[in-house]
Amino acid sequence: MAAAGGRRAVYPLFQRGGPQLRIFRPNFFMLAVRPGVPQPEDTVQFRVSMEMTKLDIRNYLERIYNVPVAAVRTRIQYGANNKRNHRNQRVKKPDYKVAYVQLGQGQTFQFPNLFPEKEQDAETRSFDDFRDKYMEKEKQKEEGDPRRGGVPDWFGL
Amino acid sequence: MAAAAAVAALGRSLSAALRLPRARPGLPGMALNLYHKNLPKVETLPQVKFLHTTVSRRGLEEFFDDPGNWGEKSVKSGDSWNIKQLRGKSSEDLHKLWYVLLKEKNMLLTLEQESKRQRKPMPSPERLEKVETSMKNIDLVVREREIALRLLQTGHEKPVPGEWRNDFLGRTFWYSYKEWPIPWHLNKKHKKKRFYYLPHVNHFIRLRLEKALRKRARQQSLERTRRKVLERKFPDVAVKSQSQ
Repeated sequence: MAAAGGRRAVYPLFQRGGPQLRIFRPNFFMLAVRPGVPQPEDTVQFRVSMEMTKLDIRNYLERIYNVPVAAVRTRIQYGANNKRNHRNQRVKKPDYKVAYVQLGQGQTFQFPNLFPEKEQDAETRSFDDFRDKYMEKEKQKEEGDPRRGGVPDWFGL
Repeated sequence: MAAAAAVAALGRSLSAALRLPRARPGLPGMALNLYHKNLPKVETLPQVKFLHTTVSRRGLEEFFDDPGNWGEKSVKSGDSWNIKQLRGKSSEDLHKLWYVLLKEKNMLLTLEQESKRQRKPMPSPERLEKVETSMKNIDLVVREREIALRLLQTGHEKPVPGEWRNDFLGRTFWYSYKEWPIPWHLNKKHKKKRFYYLPHVNHFIRLRLEKALRKRARQQSLERTRRKVLERKFPDVAVKSQSQ
């Protein structure tokens, strides 16, 4: 209950022989991402809080998610500062830490497809039909005389 | 021997049941349960020799939503936890709820990133705000309880002692003490910091004060004019407020 881990958390000073730091309500986030470069089957790619170490990530996954972890490698991805807004000020994309976690006990992981094509129910289908018909009608109104062969009618007789 | 083993098994499963979060049934309405007001309490297990507790399907699946919700346009979810509701919960329940909310937040962040990657809209992004406010409220409640306990035990309100100090620009701020391995008079960098200001800064303190007063006066007059405009537009409301 006492120590909460996260950004701007003040931890007690550690000196040799002191007690092990324990965090009771960690605020560290961890999200699984689809790897940009194909990874081996046992490797899962995460984006983690910047303050997390490899030990932290291992304990997090083992204790909270009950996932056996064999190895963790981390790197910090620098977010670019090239884009400019309407005031010509540079806009920074935030930095983030990427962790490559290799699962133990021979487990494999494949990032799933979270947006599969689903059958539309009757309501959405009818709405889509209605919308398509309306768009067709609007387009027909815009078209000019078919006898002119696509020539605009703002000039001529 | 068998009785001892059974008792040990009972103790282990009880402690496991208390430690583990609830098993997630694979129903589409499962998301509602997380935000529901009444968190189901852990039931006391009956005294039987062989215990079969439902093993929750943990693992990397918990980074993703229920598979029935994949591809949906919107997912139903209840309201966030209120402070008043959380104050009625025990510390153990709050501890478990914190981890439930943390896992939910991780799942939603995963979904958000994947939706950005696939260039599709994220279903019900308001769930993230609800989870964040719930976690903030839990933090507040736990902090309140800690402060109460600390006041009773030690008489101090804050976990870290501190004092009001002036910086070199004349501003007053709360300086909280930090733990250092060496005393302050041996810390070269700390000795360069100045917690006092010289007399020439008084002029700038005065200017800062005038600026703050002007800002406050502007805000008050704006509030007064806005109220007058409303009273002119809706005179019946003005009469009610005066009578009260």
